Amino acid sequence: MTTYTIPVGPLHVALEEPMYFKVEVTGETIASVDINAGHVHRGVEYLTMQRNFYQNITLTERLCSLCSNSHPTTYCTALEAIAGIRIPERARYLRVIADEIKRVASNLFNVAIMAHIIGFDSLFMHVMETREVAQDVKETIFGNRMDLGANRIGGVRYDLDAKNQDYLSQQMERMKADLAEIVDIYRNNSMIALRTVGVGVLPHDKALEYAVVGPVARGSGVAYDVRSKAPYAAYDRLDVPVVTETGGDVRARALVRLREVQVAIDLIQQCLRDMPDGPIAIGGLPRIPAGEAIAKSEAPRGELIYYLRTDGSDKPERLKWRVPSYMNWDALHVMMEGNRISDIPLIVNSIDPCISCTER
Amino acid sequence: MNMLMLLLRNLARGPSTDAFPFGDTFTPERLRGRIRFDPELCTGCRMCAHVCAGDAIHFDETDEGLRFTLWHNTCTFCGLCEHYCQTKAIHLTDDWHLAHLQQDKYAMIEQGVVAPAACAECGGRMTAPVPALTAMAYRASNRRIEHLQTLCPDCRRKAGVKGGRS
Repeated sequence: MTTYTIPVGPLHVALEEPMYFKVEVTGETIASVDINAGHVHRGVEYLTMQRNFYQNITLTERLCSLCSNSHPTTYCTALEAIAGIRIPERARYLRVIADEIKRVASNLFNVAIMAHIIGFDSLFMHVMETREVAQDVKETIFGNRMDLGANRIGGVRYDLDAKNQDYLSQQMERMKADLAEIVDIYRNNSMIALRTVGVGVLPHDKALEYAVVGPVARGSGVAYDVRSKAPYAAYDRLDVPVVTETGGDVRARALVRLREVQVAIDLIQQCLRDMPDGPIAIGGLPRIPAGEAIAKSEAPRGELIYYLRTDGSDKPERLKWRVPSYMNWDALHVMMEGNRISDIPLIVNSIDPCISCTER
Repeated sequence: MNMLMLLLRNLARGPSTDAFPFGDTFTPERLRGRIRFDPELCTGCRMCAHVCAGDAIHFDETDEGLRFTLWHNTCTFCGLCEHYCQTKAIHLTDDWHLAHLQQDKYAMIEQGVVAPAACAECGGRMTAPVPALTAMAYRASNRRIEHLQTLCPDCRRKAGVKGGRS
């Protein structure tokens, strides 16, 4: 059998974002893959050191569109750890609501794109229509479809009055029925099974070896979720089930994401039920002393870690983050080998890669 | 649920998209859109410019007073300026009609001039305290507070040394 090297990217019709894959194929089977990143490096880490603590709330939110809320939440948590700020109880719950509504939209977007890559565009449209409910919720409660602007240092800057709480809980109920149907389709539809079962397999031992995080890890049976392992915001007060699947293939990862949407809706409802009254942020402007802190959270793509060092001025001395996609990229080597060329886009999409986060 | 049944149901429901621009579209109250500035409420503290990540807000001293300028094309509509504005002189409206011609790009600004006041003692130029701000600082006002509000910082310090009598 003849061996070829196929370059995919950095600019390619099948890729939404620039990434370079050098794929060695034998016939139609992938023998190995070489991944090369760095095509959209924007220098945001350096830029955060030129901006003050307030400006960085907005800057970190614009690192990535789909997990935009996880970045400022984790950044503010790190700042609050340095300044010794305890955020009000109500703010903790409001942070969970903002995080989970973003997870709903992000995960549905990824599984919708999966249907689109398969060529099942009617399902893509249907999932996107369901996701639109989450988009409308974000626009109504936060004022923007993608960037919520929910966080501030020492709490949150949005509140839910009785009218908005009713609206939110109604919309979540509305999504539940649609979602049950969608999960059923992804689990049982024969066309989806043909393209996704046994494709891009990442076995449990390899998942541990490559230290993958988020739905990629949980799709291979690794029950690691920051929300239950190291709870932040109000997650220690909520019942957070860790969703896992054992297949380790493209469908298993999609099912983890879909079931996590169901968990996210349940978490929002738990928050609406348990959220106490009270202030949503600390009063006054915080003083940030010199110090360093690490904060982490479970972004829709997995564990997000922030390292922040301050020197007593109003700007970070160093801000560094490790995004979930960074860990997950490497696992593509394992997932792709032995699969067909036609499955490359499907496998790449199954790790839900975020290039804007990874390359910042 | 069978996929075909689902498609038939969606077909029966009709389009999910809004009929815009021929009909109404969804605009929630809290939408963060075009910014409005009210110079009557501005205290000139410049916190909005400090928190602005995009550097869209500028203040400059003019003959007419302290001029506020916001560039909508630099603004990210994050709403931090409104959040940190104590007197709510900045407000993000639900107006999202921001599309414009290239030739109009320099007109996509929000501007306002905070008129200066004259000090009641020395007649010097000063930024007058805004009632909305003093209402936050003091539980109730009295004649002494009202008098001090008409003074520039220098004369206010002098009045303070004299125990408020002037």
